[in-house]
Amino acid sequence: MRRPSITLRLTLLFALTSALVLVALGSFLKYAVERHFEQQDLQELTGKLELTRHALGRVHDQAGLDDLPQHLGDALVGHHGLSVTIVDDQGVVWFASAGAHHPRPPVEVLAKAAGDGRIETMTVRMDGRALRCIVARATVGIAGKPPFSVILALDIEHHMAFTRMFDRAIWLSVAIGILLAGLLGWFAARRGLAPLRAMAELAHGISASQLDRRLPTEAVPRELIEPVTAFNGMLSRLEDSFKRLSDFSSDLAHELRTPISNLMTQTQVALAQARSAEAYREILYSSMEEYDRLARMIGDMLFLAKADHGLIVPRRETVDLAAEVAGLFEFYDALAESHGVHLALAGQAAVAGDKLMLRRALSNLISNAIRHTPPEGTISVQIEACGTDRVCIAVGNPGTPIPPEHLPRLFERFYRVDASRQRGGEGAGLGLAITQSIVAAHRGTLTVHSDAERTRFDIVLPRAETSADAGT
Amino acid sequence: MKILIVEDEPKTGDYLRQGLSEAGFVADLARTGPDGLHLGVTGDYDLAILDVMLPGLDGWRLLQGLRAEGKQMPVLFLTARDQLEDRVKGLELGADDYLVKPFAFAELLARVRTLLRRGKPKEATDTLRAGDLELDLMRRRVVRSGRRIDLTAKEFALLELLLRRRGEVLPRSLIASQVWDMNFDSDTNVIEVAMRRLRAKIDDDFEPKLIRTVRGMGYVLEEPEPD
Repeated sequence: MRRPSITLRLTLLFALTSALVLVALGSFLKYAVERHFEQQDLQELTGKLELTRHALGRVHDQAGLDDLPQHLGDALVGHHGLSVTIVDDQGVVWFASAGAHHPRPPVEVLAKAAGDGRIETMTVRMDGRALRCIVARATVGIAGKPPFSVILALDIEHHMAFTRMFDRAIWLSVAIGILLAGLLGWFAARRGLAPLRAMAELAHGISASQLDRRLPTEAVPRELIEPVTAFNGMLSRLEDSFKRLSDFSSDLAHELRTPISNLMTQTQVALAQARSAEAYREILYSSMEEYDRLARMIGDMLFLAKADHGLIVPRRETVDLAAEVAGLFEFYDALAESHGVHLALAGQAAVAGDKLMLRRALSNLISNAIRHTPPEGTISVQIEACGTDRVCIAVGNPGTPIPPEHLPRLFERFYRVDASRQRGGEGAGLGLAITQSIVAAHRGTLTVHSDAERTRFDIVLPRAETSADAGT
Repeated sequence: MKILIVEDEPKTGDYLRQGLSEAGFVADLARTGPDGLHLGVTGDYDLAILDVMLPGLDGWRLLQGLRAEGKQMPVLFLTARDQLEDRVKGLELGADDYLVKPFAFAELLARVRTLLRRGKPKEATDTLRAGDLELDLMRRRVVRSGRRIDLTAKEFALLELLLRRRGEVLPRSLIASQVWDMNFDSDTNVIEVAMRRLRAKIDDDFEPKLIRTVRGMGYVLEEPEPD
């Protein structure tokens, strides 16, 4: 599944963060406003309660008590939206303030008024209006008279209306805020990712013919320096491989052109006039030799191509290197003799590897050495353990030194030290490349040293890992 | 000896048939997998040469089909791919040998003869002979015209191979593989030099010459036809 885009993710993140902050802030404001109104209401109600209690407390006789409603009525006149109800212990309404148009709290709420002198506060809804009520006991100054219950109710509908409007305003601004934050996030992400798009555009423009192009590191934000550097590194490696590949292709074309051109010329000349059967046969033989060379070259190329793709997987068997070299010496015995060259083997060791491949690798080195050793020279192969886990094989021969500038390129395909050298019996210049591929497939290294007296190829191979592995 | 060839590449198929016919075999050619299977099942062949990539039915399936019908003749595969897996797969399915294109016809011919000879008893003799040349396998001695010739162990093995397969052209790669166990394309010059040395010992001082170079193909040991 595709991951959501960075822009979308940033946009959502911005929106979510601002939603959280704004909702928290809105809720807090709403709470604070409501608290404020409640405080205000209670303060007023408590004031009136005190007034009422005080009036009741000052009454000392029945007459005073009878006058009190009138008195209270006067005292409470002008308190808009306030209603006062006084109920006696029998539950009978003893006093109700003027302002009948204000809804009164149900008398049942009295049941809630506790007898311990506490002040009960509550909010009730009556006839579609909100009332904030407090209920409390109030003692009359006449001895033996049971205390009254005083119910004070304040119409807070205008507060509620304000709160509702405030709510709406808050939630609207929260919604707008979230939207804005989201937009801002989207915009910021687009802006922030612009260097990436610029990179992509540059990358789009790079094709095989422009592998030398690089993305500028100085123009990108610091966060992108690392990916841009990595990208440039990849380009460098690609360029390098690509160059080698195209060098290889052109070498290949060149190598193929010579024998094909020989074959064509030869055949055309042959066909230009009638010849004896013997002459035709001679031409066919000659062609056969060219074909043979081509076939061998193609085989070698295939091997190298597979090695390049990691398809050469050596078997792991115990290979007695000294025995392999001895076998190769027998094979090359006649050739060495005809060159007047001696072969010498010293040391022995075993590695875990592919017998056939290692033999091929060593064979190439030995045949190479025979070609370049002057008569009466001795080619020496030295096998020894080096360190605890490696085996070193040195194939050395006396001869003209290889100029140092050629050494690093010696293992390249088709590379020849002497560019003008006739191909003669020599291979196509792939032998050392194949040897190196085989050694690399065995996780070993191949190096070459050349001085005035000797040229020496050194193979270092990991030794048979563990005895348990060696046999498999 | 009847040989079935199944090969879809027209030129290759035609030349294989021609070459094998001229080498003295009766060769039939099928160009598709199903045709090949039909011929292989109905005909009575001593050997089959199968291309791996075939239209209709690939070489592996064709081989399975033949074996399922109880045909046990040796099978040699030809393939353009020299992948190890192909080789393993072919050998698991019961292929007897394997040649990677491009191959030399001499090589194919030598392999075909090897396969056809397989299972038959070796020449039950201690001595191999060609004209006045004698090779004593027990005492590892070579005598020509009554004269003892000293050979190295590998020269002896080389001469034994040539004698056992006298009259057959042996390609260099086959010689390298059979005598020195070098199973890869090596410097063919090596075989030439080795052969020259052997000839210096057994042919140079004698008449008639027994070992002959067949240019572009390999070497053959035979007694020349008396003129």
